[in-house]
Amino acid sequence: MTFELPDFSLAAAELWLLTLGCALLMLAVFVSAQRHTLLYGLSQFTLAGALGWVWWSAPESRSLTFNHHYVADDLATLLKSAVLLLTAVSLIYTRSYLERRPHLPRAEFYVLILFAVLGMFIMISAHSLLTLYLGLELLALCLYALVALNREHPPALEAAMKFFVLGALASGLLLYGMSIVYGLTGTLELHTLAAHLSDPASLPDPGSLTHLAWGFALTFLLVGLAFKLGAVPFHAWVPDVYEGAMTPVTLFIGSVSKLAALALVLRLLIEGLGALAVDWQGMLMILAVLSLTLGNLAAIAQHNLKRMLAYSTIAHIGFVTLALFAATPAGYHAALFYILVYALTAAGAFGVLLALSGEHEAQTLDDLQGLNHHHPWLAFLMLVLMASMAGLPPLLGFYAKLIVLQALLDQGHLALALYAVIFSVIGAFYYLRVIKRMYFDTPTHAATPRPARDLTLALSLNGLLLIALGLLPGLLLALTHAVF
Amino acid sequence: MSLVLIVMLPFIGAVLPALMIRTGRNACTIATASVTILAFALLMTHVPAVLRGEVVQVGWDWLPGLGLNANFFLDGLGLLFASLILGIGLLIIIYARFYLAKEDPMGTFFTYLLLFQGAMVGIVLSDNILMLLIFWELTSLSSFLLIGYWKHLPEGRQGARMALAVTGGGGLAMIAGALLLGQIVGSYDLSVILQHKELIQASPLYVPALLLILIGAFAKSAQFPLHFWLPHAMAAPTPVSAYLHSATMVKAGIFLLARLWPVLAGTEIWFYLVTTTGLITMVVAAYIALFKDDLKALLAYSTVSHLGLVTMLLGFGTPLAAVAAVFHIINHATFKAALFMSAGIVDHEVGSRDIKHLGGLVMLMPITATLATIAAASMAGIPLLNGFLSKEMMLEEAAHTVWAGQAWLIPLLATAGAMLSVAYSLRYITQVFFGPVREHYPSTPHDPPMGMWLPPAFLVGLVMLIGLFPQTFAGPLVAASAGAVIGGPLPDYYLSIWHGLTPALFMSAVALGLGIVILWRYTQVRAAWQKGPHPQAKALFDRTLTGAVAVSSALTYRLHNGSLQRYLAWFIGACVVIGYVTFWLSSHEAGNRAMLPAAPVAIVGWLLLIGGCAALMALHRDRLLALITVGVIGLIVSIGFVYLSAPDLALTQISVEVVTVVLLLLALNFLPKHTPAESMSVRKVRDGVLAVVAGLGVGAIAFAAMTRDFVTLSDFYLEQSLPGGGGTNVVNVILVDFRGFDTFGEIIVLGIAALAIFALLDGALRGEVGRKLDAWVSTEQRSMNRHPMMLVVATRVMLPLALLVGAYIFLRGHNVPGGGFIAGLVVAIALIMQYMASGFGWTAKRMRVDYHGMVGAGILIAAATGIGSWIAGHPFLTSAFEYFTWPLVGKFELASAIAFDTGVFLTVVGAVMLTLANLSRIGRRAQHQQINEQPMDVNPLENTKN
Repeated sequence: MTFELPDFSLAAAELWLLTLGCALLMLAVFVSAQRHTLLYGLSQFTLAGALGWVWWSAPESRSLTFNHHYVADDLATLLKSAVLLLTAVSLIYTRSYLERRPHLPRAEFYVLILFAVLGMFIMISAHSLLTLYLGLELLALCLYALVALNREHPPALEAAMKFFVLGALASGLLLYGMSIVYGLTGTLELHTLAAHLSDPASLPDPGSLTHLAWGFALTFLLVGLAFKLGAVPFHAWVPDVYEGAMTPVTLFIGSVSKLAALALVLRLLIEGLGALAVDWQGMLMILAVLSLTLGNLAAIAQHNLKRMLAYSTIAHIGFVTLALFAATPAGYHAALFYILVYALTAAGAFGVLLALSGEHEAQTLDDLQGLNHHHPWLAFLMLVLMASMAGLPPLLGFYAKLIVLQALLDQGHLALALYAVIFSVIGAFYYLRVIKRMYFDTPTHAATPRPARDLTLALSLNGLLLIALGLLPGLLLALTHAVF
Repeated sequence: MSLVLIVMLPFIGAVLPALMIRTGRNACTIATASVTILAFALLMTHVPAVLRGEVVQVGWDWLPGLGLNANFFLDGLGLLFASLILGIGLLIIIYARFYLAKEDPMGTFFTYLLLFQGAMVGIVLSDNILMLLIFWELTSLSSFLLIGYWKHLPEGRQGARMALAVTGGGGLAMIAGALLLGQIVGSYDLSVILQHKELIQASPLYVPALLLILIGAFAKSAQFPLHFWLPHAMAAPTPVSAYLHSATMVKAGIFLLARLWPVLAGTEIWFYLVTTTGLITMVVAAYIALFKDDLKALLAYSTVSHLGLVTMLLGFGTPLAAVAAVFHIINHATFKAALFMSAGIVDHEVGSRDIKHLGGLVMLMPITATLATIAAASMAGIPLLNGFLSKEMMLEEAAHTVWAGQAWLIPLLATAGAMLSVAYSLRYITQVFFGPVREHYPSTPHDPPMGMWLPPAFLVGLVMLIGLFPQTFAGPLVAASAGAVIGGPLPDYYLSIWHGLTPALFMSAVALGLGIVILWRYTQVRAAWQKGPHPQAKALFDRTLTGAVAVSSALTYRLHNGSLQRYLAWFIGACVVIGYVTFWLSSHEAGNRAMLPAAPVAIVGWLLLIGGCAALMALHRDRLLALITVGVIGLIVSIGFVYLSAPDLALTQISVEVVTVVLLLLALNFLPKHTPAESMSVRKVRDGVLAVVAGLGVGAIAFAAMTRDFVTLSDFYLEQSLPGGGGTNVVNVILVDFRGFDTFGEIIVLGIAALAIFALLDGALRGEVGRKLDAWVSTEQRSMNRHPMMLVVATRVMLPLALLVGAYIFLRGHNVPGGGFIAGLVVAIALIMQYMASGFGWTAKRMRVDYHGMVGAGILIAAATGIGSWIAGHPFLTSAFEYFTWPLVGKFELASAIAFDTGVFLTVVGAVMLTLANLSRIGRRAQHQQINEQPMDVNPLENTKN
């Protein structure tokens, strides 16, 4: 039994988050919740510090620590930075919302967000089935609690309940899949797993019993992954949670947590089980096609914007799944790029809703009606965001769709690419409806108060980034390209 | 470089109007115009080279990984369109200066206009098909802003949305088409793609690529059946209609057809798709235009019709037809823009665009009338004007084109289209400007200021000049652009007024004659038209939308009615389906491990277990009975453990069962005794089927696993237990030593759970729940004797014994069944019995232990044990043990694990008691009792007195 001290410095950001998260938790016990600025400032400080640690501890080359349970590589650095930046932006969007609602537990909100970020970090840096699951559950538990945070709002509680029951089921299935994988290979580490599978002799013959066992393992793993991503038919929680949770939480789930979900897929399916692509491709295809279909069709009827964005998320996840389905480095790259773009755009869209939330929580199309009269700049930003989601060039969303389609066509999946395009066209319809309501309908509500200055600034940056990166997509593409 | 500048200038210049508007409307207009003039001038510097047949190219890599290069090139076709865009753009800017009212935000308008202009120029100069698409969608977006510019008009909104939905959607389809083209050729550069005609037409991807590109192009150019958006976009300010819907945006689709003509045209499918679409569009739109009363709607449909004409010509696929198409593009742009502007003048000065309210304007606004008449005559195809020339060429081509073996079809329909064109053009003139002067117009008609009529006058001048001297004024441009379209040697043609007595001339004459007849008999024709059907594309579009929303709503309702049960059913159902598919796709046979004989005891246990589960199912509405059944199942499981030689597990299981049942009983006390039946039978059947299927699957997996030999980890623990952990009870050694870290985590969870129960109940009691409990009246019959003496006495006697047993189990745990966890449960049960028998108040007075502290102390002790091994230089929770010989007891082993086990013990007792104490607080609250001081309700001493 050997005992070696792990290299803690690689996980400096995680330790920092853990320490400051606990400190904030203790602080919250002793400090009145009225001192919002302190809690907010400390949370932002924690995130900024974590970003510093992420960059400081980023190794030259891929490094493992904690007995190979933890990996630090370019993918981790990229995704962690994105998670931190988007979380920080989300908190800026959320600050005035919480300030207006003194009955909401603020300290808990910040603590849960920080621990959720920690969970994502663990997922992103996971290098074994165990760490993956650990991070996943840490994230999931925080999210359940966050959804239920607004205790006086029954839909929130109902959503949290559904989220929890379904989430627990999915986690169980995922764990079951992992246990079968462990049984088949005798290892938990991803690179040992990959090495085991890279040996052609150990690849299961089609039709053999081992193949059946692998089939079951992949089935259960994919069910778990599909749930986390929110792919049809394991998507049922998405609309209810998006609608039921308060907008800051929806923002967090809808944008930041998608990065972690993709990290989970990339680590488990690609890094660990990439050699079995032939076996999981078919399942991914079904998930993708169903998600594209249902997400886009159902979004048409939604009057509640949060719910509409929920279905649109499902549709976007369909796109991401298609990119993964290609099972080529170009496809993985496309998936990563797509999810980053999506997270950025979704953050902005929910940010606009938060900017419009005075006492009343803005969430239906009516709340946006005639926005151009009251807040022309916000309306313009929302226009950019929606157009980017629809995939209209020259906004960033266009390139995301473009490289996914290219990755598919490179592999000769013509029909799937066409299918994706057809449903993008259908999808464009409901994004355009939002624009139409903002620009061409007369407002039915009185103007909401001007959003806070920091919120407007962050939101403007968010929206303009979509244009700027749309004009110079090479910047972001270079970043994501370096990973694969 | 200047090519890039031509494209970028409008974009960069777009900020100017927004800035300059503060200094006045004229300054703003001049700034906007100067941007366009500069771009136009730059374009003109390339004219000599392009007319010589050279192609100006510039570019650099932008995103080579995506095949997206910032390449621009200028050939004849690009020059033609760029000049149209910039030239007419300039006229429109001047016109708009006078057209827009004072209260209209002119700066915004010009900004949008310049953005649009830049995007259009980008389309026609792009050498990269992906970049072309980017500009393409930019025109959709900026046109959206322009069309929706007049926010106060409700039609404007509807129009803008429909325009964007159709053209934007078409653009997305085209992206896919462009990707396919790039896929075939291996490059997205147009100059490369245009070299690979054979490769593209031989590819299996040709047809899908063609279809997708055509959808995009037809949507943009408003071709049948996607034509319906254009007339509705007419709610835009007239300068916008004139610019977007005559000269530029709608021609983008045509431009693309022309641009890709060299590689896509010439096949049968191209001919039938493009020609047929163009032909239908030409005739249908002209027919609709004839009966429109709104001037702009009339012009809009006539635009659609003329675009159909050009599309048809391109569809023919012959070089001569291509020349005709290019020529007609020029001509149509000039006369149609002039017509739109004149319609705008009428609207602006008279206050109405409705033909029914107009008429007799020729004397009131002579300049406008003259300009409009000449332009409309050109549209009608009257000789000596440019419209006549290109129409003649079109008819000439149509005359000898055979459609599916029918030589008469195309000539006939083309003549019909021309005839309708004559009719509506002449109607525009006669019913607006001629006829009787009305007594009342919405406002007094007069000619507009010069700035407003000069731009159309300039265009009308071009109409006449090209009409009279086609070769001089249009010849070089037509030659250059037609050369670019054809991509090869130009056919033999000459632009002139007189071609001799050709079939075309005959058809033209027939069209003119019949057109005049139609107008002469317009009242009768209109009456006939009114009887016919009037399919409304917009209504269809709206119905499609409503239908889509309805389908979507139904879908959402079916899948997402908010029922968690339904979600779960979907979830599990999907898992089951995937699992069974996986199962059937692989080979699957049972293992060959020898079966163990089924012992009678095992069979009885198995039957009991099944019976218990079935009883639970049947009785689950009666909660107390259900609880008892759960207890029974638990007991059978414990017996199962005993049978399988796992006494530790059995002991733990029994203790846990007891504690759970007691706590559940306490909780159930406050809930209704029965669960109401809410599920419908359909749902029960559904859930039953799912449960059976999933159960069968899991059972099959278990069977498959158990019928095979397997290697187990147990041997390792069995061997290492004594030497490694110093105990012979493997289960306990595993718990406190080998996997002590797990146990450590578990007791923390247990502690947190107890605290959570405390927090929940404590919080709840203060809120609404507390008030409810205060008002609660129990309907249950309760025994008068709440604390039976028998029980009180028995528990008193039992307590020391139970504690002793606890201590015994605890101490011996390391070697024989027992341990901290079980001991904790045993002690907790003994204490619970005290509470139950003697009442809470009495017991609490004598048990002054802080359970919070107990939980905390337990965890701290366990943690300290773990940290202790750090001090000794070992990893967390490394255990050490030593043997001592005690008097009386004999040899006794003292392991560090015992300290750890103490922690476990304390946590378990604390957690259970904390939960209990809080549940009983609810009970007291509900029964409105004071805390009883006496162990029994009736004081025995008082009884004896009586």
